[in-house]
Amino acid sequence: MIELKNIEKYYANKGVKSYILRHVTTSIKQGEFVSIMGPSGAGKSTLLNILGMLEEPTYGEYHFMGEDVTAMKERQRIELYRNHIGFVFQAYHLIDEMTVAENIEAPLLYKKIPGSERKSRIADVLDRFNMVAKKDLFPNQLSGGQQQLVGIARALVAQPSIILADEPTGNLQSTQAEQIMDLFKKLNQEEGITILQVTHSEKNAQYGNRILTIEDGVIKEDISVEKQM
Amino acid sequence: MFKLNLKIALRNLWKNRGITSINVGGLAVALAAFILVTLYANYETSFDKKNPNYDQIYIVGRILPDLKTNYTPPPFGKAIKDNLPEVENVGVTKVGGFEFAISSNGATIFTKNLLRLDYNAAKMFNINPTGGLNKPAGDERLFYLSKENMDGLFPNKKDNKPELVSLGSKSAGQTATVQGAVINDKHSNITFDALSIANVLGEGENYGYNNYNTYIQVKEGTDIANLEQKITAMYRAELVKGETDKSVLERVKEVSVFLDPLKNLHLRPKAGTDANYKILITLSVLGLLILVIACINFTNLSIAQATKRAKEVGVKKVMGAFRFQLTIQFLLEIFMQCVVATVLGLIIAEIILPQFNNLFLVDLAIWRMDNVLIWQLPLILLFITLIAGVYPAMVLSGFKPAVVLKGNFTTSKQSYWLRNSLLVVQFSIAVIFITGLLIISSQLKYMRSQDIGFSANQVVYIKNIAYFTNPKDFEPIRDRIMKIEGVKSATVASGIPDGSENGTNGYTVEGKEANIDFLDIDFDYFETLNIKLKEGRFFSKDFNTDTASSAILNESAIAKYGLKNPIGKIIRGCRTDYKIVGVIKDFKTQGFETAIQPTIYTMKNPCGNSKLEIMLKVDESRMSEVLATLKSQWSDINKKDGDNFRYQFLDELYGKLFQKQEQLQSVFFAAAILTILIAMLGLFAFAKYITNGRIKEIAVRKILGANDLQIFKLINSSFFVLVMIANLISWPLAYILTKKWLETFAYRIEMPILPFILSAVITISLTIITVSIQARNAVKANPVDALKYE
Repeated sequence: MIELKNIEKYYANKGVKSYILRHVTTSIKQGEFVSIMGPSGAGKSTLLNILGMLEEPTYGEYHFMGEDVTAMKERQRIELYRNHIGFVFQAYHLIDEMTVAENIEAPLLYKKIPGSERKSRIADVLDRFNMVAKKDLFPNQLSGGQQQLVGIARALVAQPSIILADEPTGNLQSTQAEQIMDLFKKLNQEEGITILQVTHSEKNAQYGNRILTIEDGVIKEDISVEKQM
Repeated sequence: MFKLNLKIALRNLWKNRGITSINVGGLAVALAAFILVTLYANYETSFDKKNPNYDQIYIVGRILPDLKTNYTPPPFGKAIKDNLPEVENVGVTKVGGFEFAISSNGATIFTKNLLRLDYNAAKMFNINPTGGLNKPAGDERLFYLSKENMDGLFPNKKDNKPELVSLGSKSAGQTATVQGAVINDKHSNITFDALSIANVLGEGENYGYNNYNTYIQVKEGTDIANLEQKITAMYRAELVKGETDKSVLERVKEVSVFLDPLKNLHLRPKAGTDANYKILITLSVLGLLILVIACINFTNLSIAQATKRAKEVGVKKVMGAFRFQLTIQFLLEIFMQCVVATVLGLIIAEIILPQFNNLFLVDLAIWRMDNVLIWQLPLILLFITLIAGVYPAMVLSGFKPAVVLKGNFTTSKQSYWLRNSLLVVQFSIAVIFITGLLIISSQLKYMRSQDIGFSANQVVYIKNIAYFTNPKDFEPIRDRIMKIEGVKSATVASGIPDGSENGTNGYTVEGKEANIDFLDIDFDYFETLNIKLKEGRFFSKDFNTDTASSAILNESAIAKYGLKNPIGKIIRGCRTDYKIVGVIKDFKTQGFETAIQPTIYTMKNPCGNSKLEIMLKVDESRMSEVLATLKSQWSDINKKDGDNFRYQFLDELYGKLFQKQEQLQSVFFAAAILTILIAMLGLFAFAKYITNGRIKEIAVRKILGANDLQIFKLINSSFFVLVMIANLISWPLAYILTKKWLETFAYRIEMPILPFILSAVITISLTIITVSIQARNAVKANPVDALKYE
């Protein structure tokens, strides 16, 4: 599903190149649950941003579902956002002025999904996440874990093929974090959604089936979780 | 999606309601000002526009060596009509000079502005009396009154039948027939309160009687420059008919004729002042500037709010929103605010309108069906939405998700730079208005305190319709008036010093001829007005020749002729030789804008105007008694004038000359307050934003040992620099503009420095106060709170 070939990212400052990513080559298949790990400043988030097409690599090839992303136009990329990619953020990034239901509805509006279907999909998602009672609340009326649930619900409602999550439990207490990770695992196993998460926590990484370890911009390890266990 | 965006917008505006109301309120106030200016400009530029031949009508004027005038002789119009086929119609009018009483059985009214028209002029200007315009038979004169006057005389009149009225004093027994009423359109160059329509005006008068206005209506597509030349040639030919005198033939070459289109007559006539036009332009520029300032403010504040919306933009983009969708969303949000501001602006304008009408002596209304504002308003709305909205919408929708979603997002340095320059522009405009206001006020103060060369205080001007051209006629009246205790002197003249223009004529001294003003006066004229003598003497009853052939000139006239020892010299004009008996000091009869005209004062002038204007100098302490006595005895004192004693105070009349400038002062006062207000509102919100952004910095500095004062200084210094820059930019601009304005005065102050310094002091202190109020919160806050989160 994702092919990275020799991805490099650096910033040139007064002739000195400071590398963030070097020679990153890997591929991610449909249905995988990959955790990206590594110390602070290793380049995890940059890699995720490149995978999510929020940043462009300085060099290298990136194919998403067989298409060359670096050659894509803005519009095509936006089409990918609409139909294939869901984002989950550490700080949830719910829109404060929208209620839970409206936050979940927002991506469907950009997909131009008709009103009746929007309603049924929102109802469906709310039901699944046990949040029907909270649908008219605003984000600041929810706990962090609940907000992140809404964040995931928002990513899921557009039925993406891949979810990119940047430290989704970074701001959460451990019980809430476990709940979120269980949800990810369930989505991966039962619905076959590809999941890519950046995490600091060894424990969270165990939920997935593959761990990429990055240090100083280079992939140090690429191991599958089953083997390790 | 639209519904959801609308909801977000409303919730957002409500959440930041403080800033929203500053934003919308500022814009509304500016819009109100702009709406008023637009109304006024629409009104002022559309005089006579209803006339179907608006673009084809021209007034014929003459260019003399030293003046341009719209007064033309009566046979001229006929000559134009007869000789030039491109002229379709020629109308002649004559403005009536004096006030006279008209009485019905029950009521008396005074007409001040009797307009005489020939039938063609009446047709040209669509004069439409109730019952229709009739052609006068033969040399019949049809007499009409304005609707207001007619209603005053005959309140119960229903039919269109003519009515009999008496003219002047009832005892004089003079009557006239009023044919009907005419609606006097104040929105026209042709104004009147009574009309007299004849077939031909000024019959028998020759080319010397330049007392008429000639209007022509040309065929469409006429080459006006060419026509002007043809008429000039014709005019010169008419003047020299039968003339053999060489000097006359020479002089005729110096006169020419101009045509001035009807559409320019009200605002910028070729003969006359274009002060109204300048005021209109100033006002329009002003209104537009205020609106632009408010828009800048709006932009500024919207961008200042941008960080709050950055997350929304980032999230929406990763959900698959196109940039243009976000741009439109933000534009719509701003449009909504503009709509609210427009409605508020209309309400404010409606509230201010009465004062505005009062100030500009107009009768404007917003809710009128034929108001062009109806289609202008949506345009204005669109205009401000675009000006205020495009930039913030572009900035907001341009945020990069990867950057804004990282969390610690602040707007870039570049938009700081931009916002700073926007702030500088606002303050520059405010400084220009403050400086302008101060300079206008100084000039007005100068005009009020300056010696005008005569004293209008305690001078009562009595309106009168009896001719006192011969001093003998006035003698008994004067005697009667002087018997009243408290009257110091009494005189009669053909004009009063209230800014009205005198007649001009050619006079020759020692072979040198020049056109100078003339005024026909009686004994005690100079004494009544307290005018100073320079040399020689005033007119006196001790000299028999004074009533026939003595003249007094003012300093300007002496200078014009370059006379060394003027007393005793002969000045010739109007077929009369006058001996110069006195020279008076110049006095400013026409205010401060026009230079004092060279003027000759005589008691007998065959070419002059009739003496009607009575002036009395009265002892201040006895003023009310004198007026009461005059009122009760007037019909006895001045039998020919009639039953009604009407008077005005000369200082009030003269004070009207300052009206335009006082108007301008009020406008600048309003504008200065407005621009400062709007700039301050903008600054307030901006300072709030800046200090919020620097809370962490302030906390760190406090921990490092900075005291409150140092922090106040720190926050203020950047704003201080901005305001100083604004001052430096606007000083030269204000200097140029006010200098131009001052140049419209013949008598003016030297450009003062104080206003420039004062406006700097005002803007800087207001800035420091505004910013410090904002900074206080940041300074008072506990540094621990600011540094707590990671």
